[in-house]
Amino acid sequence: MAQARTITNPALAVRTRARSQISEKIFWYLLLCLLSFVTILPFLWIFLTAFKGPNDAVYSTPPQLIPRDPTLANFVRVWNQLPIGRFFLNSITVAVCTTGFNVLVTSLAAYPLAKMKFPGREAIFYLLLATLIVPAQLTYIPSFILAVNVFHYYDSLPALILPNISSVFNIFLLRQAFKTVPNDLIDAAKMDGASELRLWWDVLLPVVRPSLATVAIFTFVNSWNDFFWPSLMLHTREQMTLPVGLAALQGMFTSDFRGVAAGVTMTVIPILLFFIALQRQFIRGLAGAVKG
Amino acid sequence: MLTQPSPQAGEGRGSPRPLVTKKFSLTPYLFLTPALLVTVVFILYPIVAVVFYSFTEYDIVTPPKWVGLKNYQQLAQDPTFWRALKNSFIYLIATPTLIALSILLAIIVNRNLRGIHVFRALYYIPAVSGSIAIGITWRWLFDVNGGLVNGFLVPLGLLTEPVQWLAEPAYILPIAILLTVWAGVGYYAVIFLAGLQNIPEELYDAALIDGCNNFQKHWYISLPGLRPQIVFVAVISSLAALKVFDEIYILTNRTGGILDSGVTMVFYLWRQAFRLTHAGYASAIAIVLLVITLVFSMMNVRLLERGVEAD
Repeated sequence: MAQARTITNPALAVRTRARSQISEKIFWYLLLCLLSFVTILPFLWIFLTAFKGPNDAVYSTPPQLIPRDPTLANFVRVWNQLPIGRFFLNSITVAVCTTGFNVLVTSLAAYPLAKMKFPGREAIFYLLLATLIVPAQLTYIPSFILAVNVFHYYDSLPALILPNISSVFNIFLLRQAFKTVPNDLIDAAKMDGASELRLWWDVLLPVVRPSLATVAIFTFVNSWNDFFWPSLMLHTREQMTLPVGLAALQGMFTSDFRGVAAGVTMTVIPILLFFIALQRQFIRGLAGAVKG
Repeated sequence: MLTQPSPQAGEGRGSPRPLVTKKFSLTPYLFLTPALLVTVVFILYPIVAVVFYSFTEYDIVTPPKWVGLKNYQQLAQDPTFWRALKNSFIYLIATPTLIALSILLAIIVNRNLRGIHVFRALYYIPAVSGSIAIGITWRWLFDVNGGLVNGFLVPLGLLTEPVQWLAEPAYILPIAILLTVWAGVGYYAVIFLAGLQNIPEELYDAALIDGCNNFQKHWYISLPGLRPQIVFVAVISSLAALKVFDEIYILTNRTGGILDSGVTMVFYLWRQAFRLTHAGYASAIAIVLLVITLVFSMMNVRLLERGVEAD
């Protein structure tokens, strides 16, 4: 918008410049700050509450935000009563395994759907497409019974990994990526006698690396934050992931706001750091997922 | 098992269209096998099983007992089920709200200002923080004694006394919807931002010469230009709204709210299946949910394809 104004016609450009761009900039920054306040305030409040000591009011009107008697005692109390470190390790294990397997399985499936011709390709493609519509929660009743009777992984981490090593949405994203790879590149590799598997691994995967990164990041975050299925599967404290443990903590510390706040803080900080480290990839990946 | 060179590896030599395999080859099927296995075991089989269970009485421990249409007849007379159905449809208000606010936010952040990336990242934070952490945070925001909402509204004189937000049947669902919108706006705005940046600058220049004001400019150029993104977000966010669970679970502390005021379809499914072990009855709820989603998606499925596939 700013550029649009400056290039069109000279008279307008002069007028725009005259109408002091500075005040316009200040307006936008104020608006942006106000909006980020809406996003950040609840988190900020929780973080600050986590550091409040016994002499700080958590129930006061108007609310007191800044702890005057800051302490780490809340974190220690929560840490001692719940195996937060264990939750964290479990979450990492599940998210890393799910992401690794998922990227392999979905990119393996996406390649033939994008680049090979074979009987049943359309049928398989539309069958997969149709499953996108099915709400995952309605599959959980039979999946629960499978977990107990067939796979015997109730109350263990594989129960969270195995059902998620493929996802239809990722297959579609990667299929789109593979489609953009020039056929000449594939032909050339075939001339050199590469097998399809070699071709996929050595030639195609490096070319679509940005899409793989997108798929990996979003799979990781989804797995990290998943709650419904993990809450059905995980029963013992030592097996819980962070969201399930956090829900348990909310149940244990119902009236201890400082403790709950410390628990939320410890849970949110790791994923926030992950996001801050990879924010460009997040934004670019999501933007690329739906091209206009 | 896949390590040996596939049959058509050498076939490309000399043949004019090497990608079109003339001989039947197992390779594509082998590549698809792991993904298809997972899909069959964890999506297709469960759908078939849920259909079967919905005609049975099943407590997960003893084998299912065929009861015909009894579960469905019971559903038709179950007031909580009707309430859940109604609540899930009310929840769809989140979709147009999300679309409007995310487009607005995308327009606001679509300008060259120093540090704009930081702001875009800040708005995105709720989307990565996880529904449980956010849900707990909001539970305390609306807490009657310590919550920020009462803490700000009472001193400002907007409320005469603290309101028990989460104990008030009329408020539970609006608060959950507000939470969904708050958590989603930054996420969907990124999608719309990408769409805005694909709209050619010349169109806006032309509009400016034609004397369009700021609002007209976005109404006549941005909105039509964002059509694929609007369709995509409409489909994705309405499917998400139909299966909302985590927000309700945390905000109502697993109860579904006073007088079941916050019960949605998936929450009711969860309660029947995993709290009361009425797996047969819950399966009937699941089937209704599936049918609603199918009807809903049938209207959108072509648009969805276009949205995902459009290059």
